[in-house]
Amino acid sequence: MIRMFHVRKTFGGNVALRDINLHIKKGEFAFVTGPSGAGKTTLLRLIFGAERPTSGHILIDGINLSRISRKRLDLLRRRIGFVFQDFKLLPHKTVFDNVALSLEVMGERQTFIRKRTHQTLRSLGLAKKETAYPLQLSGGEQQRVAIARAIVKNPVLLLADEPTGNLDPDLTKEIMLLFRTIHMKGTTVVIATHSRELLDRTAQRKIVLYRGEIVGEEE
Amino acid sequence: MRRISYFVRQAIINIRNNRLVHFIGLSTMVISILILGAFALLYVNVYGWLQNWGGSMRVSVYLRDGLSKGEVAQIEDFIKQQLEIESCRYVSKAMALEDLKQALGPQSKLLSALSTNPLPASFELEVKGLGDPQKQLTRLQEKLEKLPGVEEVQYSQVWIERFKGLLDLVKIIGLVVGGLLAMGALFIVTNTIKLTIYSRKEEIEILKLVGATDWFVKMPFLIEGMIQGVFSAAVALVILFGGYILFSVKKTTFLSLAVLKIQFIPFPYVVAILGLSLVVGVLGSLIAVGRFFEVAKD
Repeated sequence: MIRMFHVRKTFGGNVALRDINLHIKKGEFAFVTGPSGAGKTTLLRLIFGAERPTSGHILIDGINLSRISRKRLDLLRRRIGFVFQDFKLLPHKTVFDNVALSLEVMGERQTFIRKRTHQTLRSLGLAKKETAYPLQLSGGEQQRVAIARAIVKNPVLLLADEPTGNLDPDLTKEIMLLFRTIHMKGTTVVIATHSRELLDRTAQRKIVLYRGEIVGEEE
Repeated sequence: MRRISYFVRQAIINIRNNRLVHFIGLSTMVISILILGAFALLYVNVYGWLQNWGGSMRVSVYLRDGLSKGEVAQIEDFIKQQLEIESCRYVSKAMALEDLKQALGPQSKLLSALSTNPLPASFELEVKGLGDPQKQLTRLQEKLEKLPGVEEVQYSQVWIERFKGLLDLVKIIGLVVGGLLAMGALFIVTNTIKLTIYSRKEEIEILKLVGATDWFVKMPFLIEGMIQGVFSAAVALVILFGGYILFSVKKTTFLSLAVLKIQFIPFPYVVAILGLSLVVGVLGSLIAVGRFFEVAKD
């Protein structure tokens, strides 16, 4: 699903990632970990096509991101769900509209959009919050809305950047359960986290980044 | 189709969320279109009046002395065959002298000293306007002057030229002002849309992150510009029509122009103003989104 060959990314004079070689298989569940500033977010943004590598190549489901056109990248993003660290919810849109947005851009029928959005929100325990606005929700609820928006389109790849960063242990457990459920349905899941607690409790693959380099892997 | 309804919905939401900006933009555009419309109205009416005056214009065809009745009748027949002739009246030498006497009033005694009648017989014609009055009358003059027995053909050319000059001036001013106003309107739309784009910057970023194409993001803004253009034109035309109705009612008290019939700008002009506003609206939006996406790419 994801292949990275000698990927390097610099911002001005700062090296964010250096010589990254990585292979994440289809249907895999992997964590990217490391201390703050290790390059976790940059790695996810590169996989998502939000950043272009300074050098090296990235293949997502066989598509080379270095050579992809803007339009094809837009289409590829429709198959990738991204849960942002800061949720990136639109404050003046309701929970329902925030989630439906992912399907609107794909040009789906309104009846399908309504059905699928209701279904997804129900599965995440947000049925009663459909008409609420993001700022009326708790942190955990906002996080679930962000996840709902990422999974409503049945992505082949789900990326999540510190999805449990501001949550208490109970909510963290709940959110992780959600990711596992999504993974069970066949979606490749990559989660960036620096939470030791979260990693200790899981048996999944862990990719350790330190100062922009992969310094270790645990299965 | 379902996409169009989404775009229109988004455009309306944009307009609602940026009411003040749109109101200011719309008001300025309405004023611009109103000025343009007023020029069109002026042009159409001056042109109409000129054509009407051309239509009721008198042409005098002076005849040589000593023509037989048959020759005069031949000339009259020829004149009446001309399409643009509304009426044709024969004025004999005696009638011409009588008319002159009446016109001179107390000074008519001066004419009694004349031993012969020096005035020529003539045909007094009224000509209908069929297109450009200037060209039409010149053509008629040339045609009639070629007739045997016709001495001279006269019409008041000077005022027609003056009015044609005025009409050309109105046309040029209209085009220059119209061009400037269209550019001003373009600038207004561009900036209005730019402001609404910036107010939705966060949303655009998120739309792009969930896989929206550039056109998907741009379309609501283009529709927004289109709505602004057409709506401004519609409001301006309604105001212009209101002004026209008021002016038409009060025309009897309006100086000597009271006799003039004022007409509203014809339908093709209305369509042209709406079309131009639509184009300006879309073009303004295109410039705004184009610039935004260029910056966003960097």
